[in-house]
Formats: sequence, C-alpha cells, structure tokens
Amino acid sequence: MSAARTLSMRDALYEAPGPRTRRRVRIGTAVSAVVVLLAIAAVVRQFWVTGQLAPRYWSLFLQWTTWRFLGQGLLGTVAVALTAGAIALVLGLVLMLGRTSGVRPLAALCRVVTDFFRGVPSLLLIYFFFFVPAQLGLKLPSFWMLTLPVALAASGVLAEVFRAGVNAVPRGQVEAALSIGLSRGKTMRKIVLPQAVRYVIPSLIAQLVVVVKDTTVAYVVSYPDLMQNARVLITSYDALVSLYLVIAVIYILINYAINKASVAVANRTGVKIVR
Amino acid sequence: MSQEQAAEKNVPVIELRHVDKHYGDLHVLRDVSLSVARGEVVVIIGPSGSGKSTLCRTINRLETIDSGEILIEGEPLPQEGRELARMRSELGMVFQQFNLFAHMSILDNVTLGPREVLGQPKEEAEKYALELLARVGVAEQAHKVPAQLSGGQQQRAAIARSLAMRPKAMLFDEPTSALDPEMINEVLDVMVELVRGGMTMIVVTHEMGFARRVADRVVFMADGQIVEEGAPDDFFDHPRSQRARDFLDSIKGH
Ligand SMILES: Nc1ncnc2c1ncn2[C@@H]1O[C@H](COP(=O)(O)OP(=O)(O)OP(=O)(O)O)[C@@H](O)[C@H]1O
Ligand SMILES: [Mg+2]
Repeated sequence: MSAARTLSMRDALYEAPGPRTRRRVRIGTAVSAVVVLLAIAAVVRQFWVTGQLAPRYWSLFLQWTTWRFLGQGLLGTVAVALTAGAIALVLGLVLMLGRTSGVRPLAALCRVVTDFFRGVPSLLLIYFFFFVPAQLGLKLPSFWMLTLPVALAASGVLAEVFRAGVNAVPRGQVEAALSIGLSRGKTMRKIVLPQAVRYVIPSLIAQLVVVVKDTTVAYVVSYPDLMQNARVLITSYDALVSLYLVIAVIYILINYAINKASVAVANRTGVKIVR
Repeated sequence: MSQEQAAEKNVPVIELRHVDKHYGDLHVLRDVSLSVARGEVVVIIGPSGSGKSTLCRTINRLETIDSGEILIEGEPLPQEGRELARMRSELGMVFQQFNLFAHMSILDNVTLGPREVLGQPKEEAEKYALELLARVGVAEQAHKVPAQLSGGQQQRAAIARSLAMRPKAMLFDEPTSALDPEMINEVLDVMVELVRGGMTMIVVTHEMGFARRVADRVVFMADGQIVEEGAPDDFFDHPRSQRARDFLDSIKGH
C-alpha cells in the first residue's frame, strides 16, 4: 500500500529532468563544489596563519591514551543516549495513549506534560535534576542526572511523533474495528498501534540524533561523556581547536550513521515517513 | 427479550423513531422514523449530502443522535461500553472505502472479530472464515494483504469480515461507489446472495437496477428527511414527490 505510494512520491512532485534541466543541475553541482572547496581552503589557510596546525596541537592524537579516554567518553555518550532513548520511547507512548484516551482530565494532563517537556530547553531540565533532588537530600548518580532530563525532553517529542503515526492510520479502519464490536482499547492495540508504529519507526530512530546532541551538556553534571572527556583533554593539552574538530567529526559520524539507519529502515519496511 | 420472542412478536430488527441530528448548524437528520422487519431489504437513495450515510452510521452509533430513539430488536441502542460493543458486533457494516485492516492478511481480517469479540478458538474461526471467503469468491486471496487485492475483491472480503460475526442485520453504505465499473457486479452478486439467504439489510446505493431487483422497499431521502418510501416498482415508475422525480431524472441522465 504505502510502498507504492512512497516510491511514486518523488515522481509525483518532480517531473523527470529534461536535457536542459540536467545541464543546469550539472553546472549547479560544479559551482557549489568549487564554493565548498574554496571555503575549506580558506579555513585551512586561516588555521595555518594562526598556527593551529602546529604539531603541538595534534601530537596528542598519536597517543593511544587519548583515544582510550575519548573512547570511554563515547561509551558514556552511547550509554546515556540509549537509556534515555528507551525511557523516552516508553514514556512518549504512554503520554500519547493518555492524550488520545478520550478521558478528559487524563488527556488534558498528558497534553500539558507533553507540551512542557517539548517546550522546555533540555538544559533547564538538566539543571533541575542537578539541583532539586540534592536540595531534597536525594543523591542521584550523575548518569541519571543526565539521562532522566534528556529522556523527559525526548519523550515529549516522541509522544507527538507517535500521535502523528496514530493520526496517519485511516479513520475508516477504526470505524470498521468498532463496528465488529472491538472495544476502544482493543482497536488501539490490534489495529491502530501496529500500523502507527510502523509508520513512525524511521522518525523514532532519527529522533536519536536529538538525544545524542542533548547528551553533550553532560559537563553540567560532570558525567564523563565524549564531550566532557574532550573538555578534560582540552585543558590538559591546551588544544582547543584540534580537539573540538575531532569530536565534531565523531558526533557527525554517529548522527550520520543514525540517519542512514533510519532511512534504511524506512526503505526496507516501505513506510511513508511521518514527522 | 430473546430472539425467538422478538421474531414472534414481529418486532422490527431495526427501528428509528423521530431521530434528529445536527452537525453544528446543519440539521442532517430531521425527524427520521424507519422500521426494518426481519428479512426485509431496505434501499436508501437520495442526493449527495441528504444524510444517507449519517443515518446508516447512527444505527451502530458511529454517530450519536440528538433526540429520538433507535431500537435493535426492540431494545434501545446502548450508549457505550460492553453493551454497545456487543450490539455493534451483531450489526454488520460495509463501508464505501472497504476499510480492511491494512496490516493484516485477509484471513486475519475476517477472524479478528470472531476471535477477539466472540472468543472463538483460532481453528474454528479460520474454518468459518475460509468458508465465507469461498462463498464471496476470494478464498485464493486469504493469505494476501488487502493492498494486493482489487477493489472488488477487497469489498467482498469486507463483506465476509462482517458475516463472520453472524450479524442480525447488515448495513451497506454505498458499497460499490468506490469501485471501477467492471467490479460493481461481482459485489452486487454477493449482496444478492445475501438477500436470497434472508439477511435483513439496509443498503445505501446509487445502483437502481439492484434496488429494483432486490429491495422490498425503497426509501428516498432529501435534506435529512425521508421524503417518500414505497415498493421499488411503484417508486421508480410513479414517484409521488417532485424531489424524487427530479432526482430520478438527474440520475437517468448518466
Ligand atoms: N462529521 C461531520 N461534520 C460536519 N458535517 C458533516 C459530517 N459528516 C457529514 N456532514 C454533513 O452532513 C450532511 C449529510 O452527510 P452524509 O454523508 O450523511 O450525506 P450522504 O447522503 O451520505 O451523501 P453522499 O451521497 O455524498 O454520501 C452533508 O452535508 C455533510 O457535509
Ligand atoms: Mg454517503
């Protein structure tokens, strides 16, 4: 059903390019490639001029202890991101179910909670978990001081992603289910959710990118993630630009992989992507 | 009241009494009263927007009503919960857009209700489902998903899905309007078979040939009202109201 529709989407939006369009595309590609190359050259030249390419900023990368330390940070990042992602998945689903339950007070509450977590910057949530439990005499490990707020922030977004998926299931199927005597709950479980989840799996995976980016404020709670460990190295080696460049590349690679995975899943299951 | 008692006393299977419904300012059903006896086939026709679908959908409470009464075998239509679900399970509904469950095989579409609502064991549900699918002529498609079927096949499977609940009556809301012309007859044939089997039916349709052939009664609606009703030959050959004459003229043009 949706596979065919997704495949034809591109063709529906754009006609197949003719010879003139193809020439324009080729010229455009060439021009942008030149611009990008020039920009890179300018940056490298600037680094050269300001001495950022000097060996003392880069030699640390020849020591395997540097990589081990960054690797530990990376593991920390992955642990937080996956745990927060899992919590957000469950919580997001619960929030969406509450919001669409048809029970007025519950729906209103879930709606407020969803909008709150979606609207509040995750940094604020992290400060909250950093200060408030401590005030109440509760000692949270730094892992949870980071994971919980990141999970809460993501759960608000995921609740909306799930809701988009639920709304994408044709209303007629719900009516058909009700008309053979299925309860609302069973209609949700047997008919709506299985299809809604299939629709949004790619978006859910893509949402991991946001979670990964959110974990980079770990320094607030001094949790040793990739960013925090990089900052430690920066102070001890006094090598700011080179380190930031390297970990930026690492983050880009992670998120590129996540995006690739989400597109691969989308193509495999042939679902249309609902955001 | 048990089914036998109901049949004995000649209680209508479906009865609407002075039903009114609004969508905001729009008065979609105006004092509609309609009674369908056991085994009776009532065809509802009328111009677009006259409230035919709405009428059909109020009978299993996919739409609520503002005032009036709806009785199923003499019992008021339950408002919610288990009782409503049970009542719905006893009325089959067939939609214009088929509305098969897209993520399930045809067989699972048909067995879902019997298994989840009636609590039938899998084997029993599948045995009966295959029988029904054979009866409507899509047995070979049982293990495909709906998207792999033609429109006509999908609608026949949807009819089988309703029949699997062994309903007291069937509601059809323009079952052939979304179909390519060459598929209309295969669906109408299945419906004619149902009529022969004595099924109580309400059918909203524009298929006048079908109406003439099988209807016990034709109900003509306009602007949310039942304007005229009667035996098919009477109605089609000698419509009494100007509205009905205009409507019949307008569809003859096609
Ligand atoms: N959910 C709704 N909200 C508001 N108005 C509605 C809704 N559903 C239907 N209507 C309106 O109610 C009127 C009756 O609609 P209904 O679908 O019952 O007509 P119909 O006789 O089935 O027409 P058709 O032949 O086009 O199917 C129409 O004017 C329609 O626009
Ligand atoms: Mg209609």
